[in-house]
Amino acid sequence: MKKYLAKRALLMILTLFLITLLSYTIIRIAPGDYTTLKLGMQGALKTGSISSEAIEQERKLYGLDKPIIVGYADWLAKFVRLDFGRSRKDGRPVLTRIGEALPITLILNAISMIIIYIISIPMGIVSAVKKDKAFDRVSGVFLFILYSLPHFWIGLILLLYMSSGEYLNLFPLGGIHSDWAAHAGSIPRLLDFCWHLVLPVITLTYGEFAFLARYTRATMLEVINQQYIMTARAKGLAEKKVIFVHAFRNSLIPLITLMATLLPGLLGGTVIVESIFSIPGMGLLAYESILSRDIPVIMAITTISAILTLLGILVADIMYSLVDPRIRLEAKI
Amino acid sequence: MTMTRLFNHANYMTELKIHIRLLSAISGLLFFFTGCSGIFPPKDPYTLNMYLGAEPDTLNPIIATDASSHAINLRIYETLVDRDYDTLDVIPMLAERWEISHDKLRFRFFLKKGVYWSDGVEFTADDVVYSYNKIMDPKVASAQLKVYYIDIKSCRKINKYTVEFLYARPYYLALIFCGGMPIVPKHIFDDGTNFNAQKNGRFPIGTGPYRFEQWDTGKKIVLVRNGLYRGKKPVIRKVVYKIIFDPSAAFQMLKKGDIDVMGLREIEWERQTNSERFHKNFYKLKYYLSTYSYIGWNEARGFFADRRVRLAMTLLLNRKDILDKLLFGLGKIVVGPFYIFGKSYDHDIKPWPYDPAKAEALLEKAGWADHDGDGVLDKDGKKFSFTFTISSGSRFAERLGSIMKENLSKAGIRMDINKFEWAVFLQKIQGRNFDATSLGWSDPDFQDDPYQIWHSSQIKGGSNFIGFSNREADRIIERARLEFNEKKRIRMYHRFQEILHYEQPYTFLFTTPALVAVSRRFTNVKVHTRGLNFLEWQVKKTE
Repeated sequence: MKKYLAKRALLMILTLFLITLLSYTIIRIAPGDYTTLKLGMQGALKTGSISSEAIEQERKLYGLDKPIIVGYADWLAKFVRLDFGRSRKDGRPVLTRIGEALPITLILNAISMIIIYIISIPMGIVSAVKKDKAFDRVSGVFLFILYSLPHFWIGLILLLYMSSGEYLNLFPLGGIHSDWAAHAGSIPRLLDFCWHLVLPVITLTYGEFAFLARYTRATMLEVINQQYIMTARAKGLAEKKVIFVHAFRNSLIPLITLMATLLPGLLGGTVIVESIFSIPGMGLLAYESILSRDIPVIMAITTISAILTLLGILVADIMYSLVDPRIRLEAKI
Repeated sequence: MTMTRLFNHANYMTELKIHIRLLSAISGLLFFFTGCSGIFPPKDPYTLNMYLGAEPDTLNPIIATDASSHAINLRIYETLVDRDYDTLDVIPMLAERWEISHDKLRFRFFLKKGVYWSDGVEFTADDVVYSYNKIMDPKVASAQLKVYYIDIKSCRKINKYTVEFLYARPYYLALIFCGGMPIVPKHIFDDGTNFNAQKNGRFPIGTGPYRFEQWDTGKKIVLVRNGLYRGKKPVIRKVVYKIIFDPSAAFQMLKKGDIDVMGLREIEWERQTNSERFHKNFYKLKYYLSTYSYIGWNEARGFFADRRVRLAMTLLLNRKDILDKLLFGLGKIVVGPFYIFGKSYDHDIKPWPYDPAKAEALLEKAGWADHDGDGVLDKDGKKFSFTFTISSGSRFAERLGSIMKENLSKAGIRMDINKFEWAVFLQKIQGRNFDATSLGWSDPDFQDDPYQIWHSSQIKGGSNFIGFSNREADRIIERARLEFNEKKRIRMYHRFQEILHYEQPYTFLFTTPALVAVSRRFTNVKVHTRGLNFLEWQVKKTE
């Protein structure tokens, strides 16, 4: 096990190195850079040669005059000291900016994921057990309809119907706190916070049931047709026990693969939902930094999600061996 | 905005009513619950809620470039001179008066005495000199300002309340430029830290009518009245700039009363703000600023080097129709680059009409005809086929493109539309790597100087990316910059517009009005040449 972990750690470092190198190169070759974009159309094109001198000065300030490989080396040297540098946008440390955006994204994603898992796994199991019966068919169609509704549309419809006051006035129109919350006690504040999260969570979750439910259904069906299930039934076990103890546990293995995406998924925000509901989370941070070519921020977000993805894969692999003793880790490399 | 139309549909309404009964029961509960603890304090009538579509980068006025930070800094920081909201005359702000030498090179400003930064330190000439030095400091990320002050040879302190700018050459806008330079407090910034990352960028201290109170990242920025402000105190005590990323969500907030002021889109103005309720709650204000849109023809490309071809392109476009279709007729067709209600604009020039027959004749004279009978014009074996390059964010350019494509194809010209992300688009334009494009220019300070966009020296790497070059126009532009007599300058600019009208380097499109909704909670909401100014607003007494 130790030897395995050491090997995996080395591989992870190598992979991470390649990911960051590739990301950095791509950002640097992408057209446009921070300074030109910052100046915009009018600024960037102003009084020709004089302004190009000023722009050149500013590019130097941000190290954009250096070759890509030198720029990457600079970034790497800072990164190994866990220094992600400062954001070009406002000159603040990148980690401060991520620290501001991360908590709300984590909370939103955690709540959404819990809801998605709680609803879709049982639905998948039931669909598998009642294969081709009414429930299976109807829930399947229903989930796929939800799946195909675009987020930006549903988000705006929810706002218009539920919050605008033209139809209903149930929820706030965005943000995560009311103005009064700053001076309120902790319980009203928490309630206010939850009240703000309702619509974003609905928008984040409604489309995600289909995939997991169908996935669970498929793996369950595979297991249900195995001979040991027949054996269990033949032994005269209660159907509940057959399904939940014998079948479900075995169908967990493929689900673990999904765990690998869970960690980085917690961190990633969605631009559309965040922008509709005015939530300053990771999605908007990443989106905005990419559009403005804010290299330190882009690199930090890429690196962190790369690390989490790699960790997620590792955790999933270890979990495999825990759930299914037949899988031996050493053999896997 | 099909969505909104959808909601007005009768079927939806009946369906909705059933839900409403159920949901209002829940909402009743919810309000009972939250209302009980008395945590909904009444809204403060003296607070103005503004809408920001994007978070400002920084509130350091020397580094900031975006519109959001500009709007906020305008209330916190002041400059030496200001411009009258109606007449646009230069008026005193931090300077009580100024002297200009006879050679128009020396600008001496006499500062007001007893002006204090909002932390209580007195404002002096040192702050002005420090700010100038910082703007010109190569280590400071202020390229956007540097270009304005490159002609200043020096900025020096004469005494505690007098500063002097020395220009290398005369320029009629010099007073506005040096008098409008952003000024930051030296005692705060000069602490040895990196100017670009100075913490004051997020905790600004100024001399203006409002002082900074709070910046809640991604959510809001709050200003309150500056107790040390020397001038008349505004009635509005607190200004909250709410950061809302999605304009449709912001529009809902406006209607709900969470935002008091917001610029509307044409469709919102025309279709979604006509209810009685909206009119009862909001003023709808429409006013023109100095902006215009255009189609630029790259003269480095064979077809568009010929004046007759460019003119034909203008004649082939039904601009009135485009204005009606795309902008609900909200706007005016322009013939030149100047502010349509300003003195420089020449109203004697009439826009070219929509005249496909004349266009075809012009094209034929220029040698473009369908020689091989395939429906596409050609000349010397080359087909008239070009690409319309636009930025993917611009809905207007996209829809304009499809109308153009159709109009031009009738005349035998093939046009493709190519969309690029803003950064890529900018690079294509700067590299003059495009055939035709559509963009807009705005001149927020009503400066009127055509040098940046039209002088032939600005073709390479400058704003004259379509490559307009005309000797007479160059001469006019250069002379006008040195002409301090406004009447003479205006005559020059009128001649300049005639040249542009004849040459058609752009197909000038429209100047579109600002469409703004303002809550009727406020009174004395006036529209000035420069737009709205909430410093003068009153709060309506409520019963």
